[in-house]
Amino acid sequence: MDPETTPPLPPTGSGSVVGDDLGLGLQLPGDGTVDAAGRRRVHPITPLVHAVSALPIALIVLFSLSIGGAFAIGARTVFLALALLVILPLVVGGISYLAWRNLWFWFDDDGDFRVDSGILTKKQRRLQLSRLQSVDVTQPLAARVFSLAEVTVEVAGSHDSRVRLRFLPLAAARDLRSELLARAAGLRHDVGEAPEAPIASVAPRDLAVSLVLRTVTAGLLLLTGLIIVFTVLTSGWGGLVLALFTGGLPILIVVGEFMKFFNFTVSQSPDGLRLRFGLAKTETRTVPPGRVQAIEFVEPLLWRRWNWVRLRVNIAGVGGTDSNGNTEETLLIPVATRDIADDIVARVLPGLDLAGMDWQAAPDRSRRRSPIQWSRLAVAWDDHVFVARRGRLTRRIMVIPHVRTQSVRLTQGPWERPLDLASVHVDSTPGPVKVMALHLDAGAARAIADAQALRAERGRAQDRTTRWAAEQLRDGASVEEPGAGQPDA
Amino acid sequence: MADRTTDAFTSDDVWTPVSPRLITARRITLALVMLLAVAGVVALFLIPGVPRAWALAAAVVALVVFVWLWWLIGRRVRSFGYSERGDDLLVTSGIMFRRLVIVPYGRMQLVDVKAGPIDRWLGVTTVQLHTAAATTDAKIPGLVPDVAAALRDRLAQRGEQRSTGL
Repeated sequence: MDPETTPPLPPTGSGSVVGDDLGLGLQLPGDGTVDAAGRRRVHPITPLVHAVSALPIALIVLFSLSIGGAFAIGARTVFLALALLVILPLVVGGISYLAWRNLWFWFDDDGDFRVDSGILTKKQRRLQLSRLQSVDVTQPLAARVFSLAEVTVEVAGSHDSRVRLRFLPLAAARDLRSELLARAAGLRHDVGEAPEAPIASVAPRDLAVSLVLRTVTAGLLLLTGLIIVFTVLTSGWGGLVLALFTGGLPILIVVGEFMKFFNFTVSQSPDGLRLRFGLAKTETRTVPPGRVQAIEFVEPLLWRRWNWVRLRVNIAGVGGTDSNGNTEETLLIPVATRDIADDIVARVLPGLDLAGMDWQAAPDRSRRRSPIQWSRLAVAWDDHVFVARRGRLTRRIMVIPHVRTQSVRLTQGPWERPLDLASVHVDSTPGPVKVMALHLDAGAARAIADAQALRAERGRAQDRTTRWAAEQLRDGASVEEPGAGQPDA
Repeated sequence: MADRTTDAFTSDDVWTPVSPRLITARRITLALVMLLAVAGVVALFLIPGVPRAWALAAAVVALVVFVWLWWLIGRRVRSFGYSERGDDLLVTSGIMFRRLVIVPYGRMQLVDVKAGPIDRWLGVTTVQLHTAAATTDAKIPGLVPDVAAALRDRLAQRGEQRSTGL
């Protein structure tokens, strides 16, 4: 095997200068093992980490058993409890050890990323780096204790296109990420971790305020307040049960998102935008500029005083559904002023000029279909992007580049038909952004849909983003040529 | 039905309708479901203590729903059509909720050809186009197997010529 394509894993602690370890300080010696063929392993401490993460589950089981009154306190039950606390982590750790022994990853001679895994059923995966969508480094709580991290590799694909490597030392995880991204961008892989410059960060106070003031959340909290006031006034205490739901749900969502997006920072690196966030579980996500499929500006009514917006984004292979099958809202930033948001967008979609576009509004008769938002409904396009606008209380602007348009749909519901209205939907990869231009004149909508399909097909011919870094450095010395010109699907 | 030249969903294109055999296939499925309803109504008549009027009402409701669905299937199937243009494929369908899907050939990731047991017996096949978007809903049911296979091959060929990635 060519030593140049499979360099040994750099020693722990080398290279990375970016970001501080958020771990709790237990640095462990050693790193991923490398075998004679250059195949790598994750850190040998991994089974221990998995065993530790099983402890809370054991505790929960014990707790629920004791609540259920399954046993009285006595010498025997204490023994049983201890046994459970020992056995469950042992079993988890044992399985994890077998998995660790069978997990290998390496770069093969064709430049593909290979992962072999499986205890009983062997699985061999080969990821084409030309189709790489993103590489995330995350630190679950148990891994943070040991300064370890998980690397998630996303490749464009409809099903099960994600590989998770658990766990690598944080520095090794970052090095692996930069190597993957460099290879995918068509650069040589020994360029090291790309330097990055911070662009924006979200203050915890702003995040908390913004989450509370989102339209639905604020509405539910207001409703809760009203219910409580009425309940107290009328002494009909049954209302408090309802208040528990209308108040509890938004509070859960606010707390959950606050924990998830805590300390959100965006920085620019040659690999693309790098996002870091999380309180208990920290995540790092790199968004290469060519991988952004669609963007949405979300501006709830109560955010306007500060000129705040949230940026939602579709990235192929990410965020449609997370590992648990839940739909995940992928963001470029949870809240930022419009200037900062525009700056971030300019880095992934250069040349976007919303104000200078020729907006085509929905006709006045759309008032009868959508009495509130009709005056905001409009659509526009230029040589590169298709843009639609909707929403009155929560204003939304959806942007999709022509080269990312998968298909175009024209729809007409029973309320639209008598008004001769129709809606245009521009289909993007799965994600939070759904691009729709609602309630346009039916004839105009059809013309827009036809033209957009044509722009999608034509725009594709000029697409240069699949190996974007190599394009930028077309004549540079560090460009790796093989495969640069071939189609990637 | 709106005038073909002014209607946004059907204008200007040469539409290929789907096979009327699809109507038969769907009506057979409907009849099978209807058998269950008939069994239910008969049971209502036989169970002592159920007022005759109720059972009669259930029978009437079942009959009305059956006739309405029977008629609707015909209209729905006739609303399906597809059109192969130079750069893209159009699929239209729907009566209450009408839709028109435009799929550029270069964006097709795969083309499925499917047929269930009743469909196979009657000789109808469904061709479905997939892009990288899950929301692309381009399904053409009710094609004669030969037509379906030929369409699939044509689409695959055009897709291959133009495909450049995600």
